[in-house]
Amino acid sequence: MAEEANILSENDIERIIKRISHEILERNKGSESLVFIGLQKRGIPLANRIAENIGKFEGTGLKTGKLDISFYRDDIGRNIKPEVRITDIPFDIEGKNVILVDDVLYTGRTVRAALDAIIDFGRPKSIQLVVLVDRGHRELPIRADYVGKNLPTSHNEAVEVKLKETDGTDSVAVVKKE
Amino acid sequence: MLSKKSLLDIESLELEDIKLILSNTDSFLEISKREVKKVPTLRGRTVFNLFFEPSTRTRTSFEIAAKRLSADIINFSAAGSSLKKGESIIDTLKTILSMKVDLIIIRHSDSGTAKMVDGFVDIPVINAGDGKHQHPTQALLDLYTIKKRFGQLKGLKAAVIGDFLNSRVARSNMELFEKTGMDVTLVSPAMFLPEDFSEFKVRYSIDDVIEDCDILYMLRMQLERQDRKFYPSIMEYNRFLSLDMERLKKMKPESIVMHPGPVNRGIEISDEVMDLSGKLAEKIVIEEQVTYGVAVRMAILYLILS
Amino acid sequence: MGKAEDKNILIRKGRIIDPAKKTESSADVFIKDGIVEKIGKNIKVAGSDIEVIDAGGLVVCPGFVDMHVHLRDPGFEDKETIESGAMAAVKGGITTVACMPNTDPAIDSEHAVKYIMEKSINAACRVLPVAAMTKGLKGRNITEMGLLSQAGAVGFSDDGKCVADSMLMYEIMRYSNQFGLPLILHEEDYNISKYGLVHEGHYSSMLGLEGISGLSDDLMIARDIMLAGRSKAKVHITHLSTAAGVEMVDKAKKDGIDITCDVTPHHLFFDDSVLSSFNTNFKVKPPIRSSEDRKALAEGIKSGVIDAVASDHAPHLDTEKNTTFKLAEFGTIGLETLFSAAYTKLCREEKLSLAEFISLITCGPAKILNIDAGKMEEGREANITVIDTEAEQRIKRGDFISKSKNSAFIGQKLRGKIVCTISKGKLVYNNK
Repeated sequence: MAEEANILSENDIERIIKRISHEILERNKGSESLVFIGLQKRGIPLANRIAENIGKFEGTGLKTGKLDISFYRDDIGRNIKPEVRITDIPFDIEGKNVILVDDVLYTGRTVRAALDAIIDFGRPKSIQLVVLVDRGHRELPIRADYVGKNLPTSHNEAVEVKLKETDGTDSVAVVKKE
Repeated sequence: MLSKKSLLDIESLELEDIKLILSNTDSFLEISKREVKKVPTLRGRTVFNLFFEPSTRTRTSFEIAAKRLSADIINFSAAGSSLKKGESIIDTLKTILSMKVDLIIIRHSDSGTAKMVDGFVDIPVINAGDGKHQHPTQALLDLYTIKKRFGQLKGLKAAVIGDFLNSRVARSNMELFEKTGMDVTLVSPAMFLPEDFSEFKVRYSIDDVIEDCDILYMLRMQLERQDRKFYPSIMEYNRFLSLDMERLKKMKPESIVMHPGPVNRGIEISDEVMDLSGKLAEKIVIEEQVTYGVAVRMAILYLILS
Repeated sequence: MGKAEDKNILIRKGRIIDPAKKTESSADVFIKDGIVEKIGKNIKVAGSDIEVIDAGGLVVCPGFVDMHVHLRDPGFEDKETIESGAMAAVKGGITTVACMPNTDPAIDSEHAVKYIMEKSINAACRVLPVAAMTKGLKGRNITEMGLLSQAGAVGFSDDGKCVADSMLMYEIMRYSNQFGLPLILHEEDYNISKYGLVHEGHYSSMLGLEGISGLSDDLMIARDIMLAGRSKAKVHITHLSTAAGVEMVDKAKKDGIDITCDVTPHHLFFDDSVLSSFNTNFKVKPPIRSSEDRKALAEGIKSGVIDAVASDHAPHLDTEKNTTFKLAEFGTIGLETLFSAAYTKLCREEKLSLAEFISLITCGPAKILNIDAGKMEEGREANITVIDTEAEQRIKRGDFISKSKNSAFIGQKLRGKIVCTISKGKLVYNNK
């Protein structure tokens, strides 16, 4: 039986989103040059929420794109292939500050693939990384610019993120694998 | 992953495989719309285009697909090859294998050659057309084209028109359409049908299906492949099997016209229809088939090699 | 066409035999504006200028249908033309003719079919084209059967020739199913018939004439019956000449194959004993065979295996017939003697009923060709023949109005004579 520990509640997540939204605005001195790209699949609702928040504060509409990195993975042919989801980046990233959003930062390989993909779409001014949870155990020199919660874990644990848009509820839990 | 190592024919495709290929194609279509039409997915893999029969369209389509996935592709055509000097197919394969390639795409004028090659090598083989037998990637891109237009496949009425006996496209397509729940009618004169054609729904004239079908699939008249010249004339073909403006206008509003290409103008489809522009021209999806062809082949390469 | 033909016609007191309706009665027939207005007893008509035909003691029946005729037009107009052939036909009581495609050019294209259709408009009788099965009758490539059937062909044939390539014949049969027209088959195995002139038998041997064995017909009949069975095509074996042929068609019919057949008057009338005269008018294909074969053909008629009698009218110039037996062309004319020759043999000798015989040259062939002919009813265009069944005549060369005079019946005493013929509503032949 898997042991589960709840780390973040719905309210926690809401506060985090608000805080990060302000941090992004502060750092980039406004929202003019910002575009948001969410990583499939839970990075997308997170990106949408942040973009919406910022949009409310600033009184502007902000664009979010979707990115699936299956084709940029470094483990093609080695692992069971996960489902390929859509990529849709309906704006130009040239010269923009790309806010890349994912739910969990772990080894860093997903983000590395995302960086390769984004560069194929153009030359952004900067790429800044937002993650809801950083669980440590980096295998590549990748770090997040905005972190929701630092969550040290061990390898036999899994971080389960649930979001209303994808799973019906907002929560983050750590589950011990058997 | 596909259920089998190779893609040789439609029969051995599971419904899950078909679903997987179609759903992946959406993503690959998106890549083809970018400015940088490349992903690193198959970087470092070597694909061998082993074409014993001339083909520009299919070969180029596979080449573009492989290159967009960052794979290396070698083109072999029978003309400039040592095959003419008497080297057998098996010897050619041995040579290729010793160069450590990852995938062979084969087209040959004899039915069954893809299976023969597949039995001889351990690496995956994709059948790009073997004699009169099968052309599975064509069928899959045709199915994708239909899905894009109609959304769902079940219950759609497809009419396949032309020389069934000599057409690998007909065999693959009809099998795939029926497998995915479509209703298939074959329109073909007796000399293009097997002796016993009771397993098919057959009509003799395009007029019998034109008002009813959702998909009108025109087969290429195999002028170069007719061992026995039994069909009387082009005029007779026009009278019973060709698509002209009069017939096009009788088709259902949302119906489409497909052709594996290249079209023999004035034989399968009239010049007038081919040169159409405007609302009616939207029914002709031949160019879409080619566009989707690259994306479908990318999906197949990806699923077979990953 | 003179005015006399356009008059209204009253045929009085004839013995009306209508095999399509299976009726026989004594009645009058009134034809108004080319249409059969009334059939009944003692018809009274008002008005003058009516052609009255006294048919007392005569037979009145639907105009005949001859489904196998060579009109030689286009290409051999010195032997016959559509016009002259039609005139000869109506003299023989025939109002519908199906003409064979071995002309020059052959009837193997849309415009060739249309040529026949157009020329037929002014011809004395209805002329319907049979189109070729293979291009140029070369036995190599299928004709545009779809276009030809849409242009007006009533059937397909390579008559004069047999398609030797069995695969091709099979494909022709399979393709023909799309169009529903019969394939009229001339059965001849060329390897057997190659040097032959007459039937292979006692007479050919005695007379030193190369023989054509009955196998020539029979092998091909057997082949085509098998092909027809497989392909489910509608086939018609024309000019049957052998006993085995009759047997095979009989069995094929019982096996459910869609097959019909016809026989010529000369095959019913003669056997190979006539060859001693070396009369080249007896040189025909298929050859006139033994008395056993002849008897079998007559039996085949009586038992119903044979569906029609057709003349195989084959005109040739005197220069082509007045030569050695070896060099002479094959064929005999037959339009003008179709009725009398077959009637003499079948009804007078073999005791076939007149009604049954007439059906073999009216509704029988009409059914095979699936055409609207061989009928006589109120409201229909008038195509009617009046016959004196008692008349007797010795056939002379000078009797024939066909352009060619190569008749096998010259010198024969025949019963039955056509008195007058109404074709396309007009009185086109009147010998009263």
